[in-house]
Amino acid sequence: MTRFKKLLLTILISVSPLFAQVKGGITVPYIDFPMKEGKGMYSTKGKCNMCHSWGYTLNQGLQSKKFWQEKVMKMILIFKAPIEDKHIDEVVNYLFENYGNGELE
Amino acid sequence: MQRRDFFKKAIVVAGSAAVGGSTIEAVETTHPIDNRKVSDIAFPEKRPLITYSDRPPLLESPREVFTSALTPNDLFFVRWHMPLIPTYINPNKFTISVNGLVEKEIEVSLQELKTQFNQVELTAVLQCGGNSRTAFKPMAGGIQWGIGAMGCARWRGVRLKDVLAKAGLKKEATYIGFNGEDKAVYNKTANFVRELNLEHLDDDIILAYKMNGEDLPYLNGYPLRLIIPGVYADSWIKMISNITVTKEKQDLHFMEHAYRIPDNSCECETPKNLFKKTKPIEEMNVNSIIGYPVTGTKVRDASDLVVRGVAFDSGHGIEKVQISIDGGQMWEDALLDDDREGKYAYRTFTYAFKPKSSGSLTIMCKATNKKGESQPFAKDVKWNHGGYKYNGIDEVTVEVV
Ligand code: HEC
Repeated sequence: MTRFKKLLLTILISVSPLFAQVKGGITVPYIDFPMKEGKGMYSTKGKCNMCHSWGYTLNQGLQSKKFWQEKVMKMILIFKAPIEDKHIDEVVNYLFENYGNGELE
Repeated sequence: MQRRDFFKKAIVVAGSAAVGGSTIEAVETTHPIDNRKVSDIAFPEKRPLITYSDRPPLLESPREVFTSALTPNDLFFVRWHMPLIPTYINPNKFTISVNGLVEKEIEVSLQELKTQFNQVELTAVLQCGGNSRTAFKPMAGGIQWGIGAMGCARWRGVRLKDVLAKAGLKKEATYIGFNGEDKAVYNKTANFVRELNLEHLDDDIILAYKMNGEDLPYLNGYPLRLIIPGVYADSWIKMISNITVTKEKQDLHFMEHAYRIPDNSCECETPKNLFKKTKPIEEMNVNSIIGYPVTGTKVRDASDLVVRGVAFDSGHGIEKVQISIDGGQMWEDALLDDDREGKYAYRTFTYAFKPKSSGSLTIMCKATNKKGESQPFAKDVKWNHGGYKYNGIDEVTVEVV
């Protein structure tokens, strides 16, 4: 190979584009995680599904009232969930009534 | 429950504590949940997996995956923290920047990483610190995983050290912070930034662009992720695009509050008596999982059953894996593979026997590492509030017919 050809080849290699395995990116499927019908559902839906899917919440299983109370507070205090004080009870009650284990704590 | 019942209950609880002197609480550990089914919807580049959430994606590998040393990319678990993940990345434009306490701030393209640095490859287990969290009672905060928030892959990339050297660390440099391309939905929520003390920087920490010989799947952090062999997954930042070098620790929620365990010798506490001082979870416990058979598998009596699974620890290496078919009284050594994937990888094991009597038969596996550490029975694993580092002896129950 002549020196010129060699040089050309190196240039070609170094500028050859990288190809991703996936053409043009991905689409994450939408998965429906239905919420139980109940008092406070719409309000809870707007608040708790803002940053993550309802699946995140369902994954916790049936829990005590204290558990849900603390979880809602964690969302507000740590992750800055914009939930006003006057709505906290409504959300906690919806969670406990529909995803509660019957125990207060 | 009525308010009055609640107080009644409170008294009962208080009473029992008084009787025992020390804290008697219903703290117990069980086996993690093991009967969840894969979803019928597949995520991009994945086969259908156990699906907890789409936003952000949370996917767990089913037990059957844990029979081979390398976990196929399309069966590899997925855990994101922030729901806004780029769904398209142009590999020709992607760069990682290094700034902060460096001689010169740099931006390195994927192409440059692949051509201007030493290329290295190593096999390492990636495991969520909360893997098997469903074992903890009362429930510990976080994603309620079964056993499948782990996988093992061959990672190819460049040493983090070499990339930092290109920028040149300043004398005062102490911490390196890592940030990926995922973002919180709400602008007040902290992003998932992690940091590492430079003391912990070693040759095995790499920025990987290949996983088992292929591009990383998007959901596992395409096009580049951090690999920190031997430690839990919390700092293996995906889609990593920035490294910031600092003198002081940054004040980071995900460093200071998440992924921490009690800083005492048992790394344990009780719900009513949380241990104040905490430390990062870091090094992985010795662990092993049976991939075949699974609970519910039917086998003929006197047929030749070959139990298969994987064992690993933080890099000391696996000394032995033992199997018990009598509830943990007698243990027999399983056969281990030739260790070709290295000390941070799964060691696969097999154990062949002929089940004798018909009915339910429980098979347990227990790994011991070269340091002599081995797995406790599930019920003896101590509780911690985050449900981290579970490594109870695994078991499956088959039907012998
Ligand atoms: C401002 C954004 C935001 C809102 C609003 C929000 N969350 Fe979260 N949530 C988060 C973040 C961030 C995480 C943690 C992600 C991680 O650790 O990877 C999280 C995690 C969780 C988890 C997982 C377990 C845990 O303790 O981390 C549950 C359950 C949960 N949220 C429930 C809720 C419920 C119920 C609501 C409604 C009251 C809610 N979230 C509203 C941001 C939010």
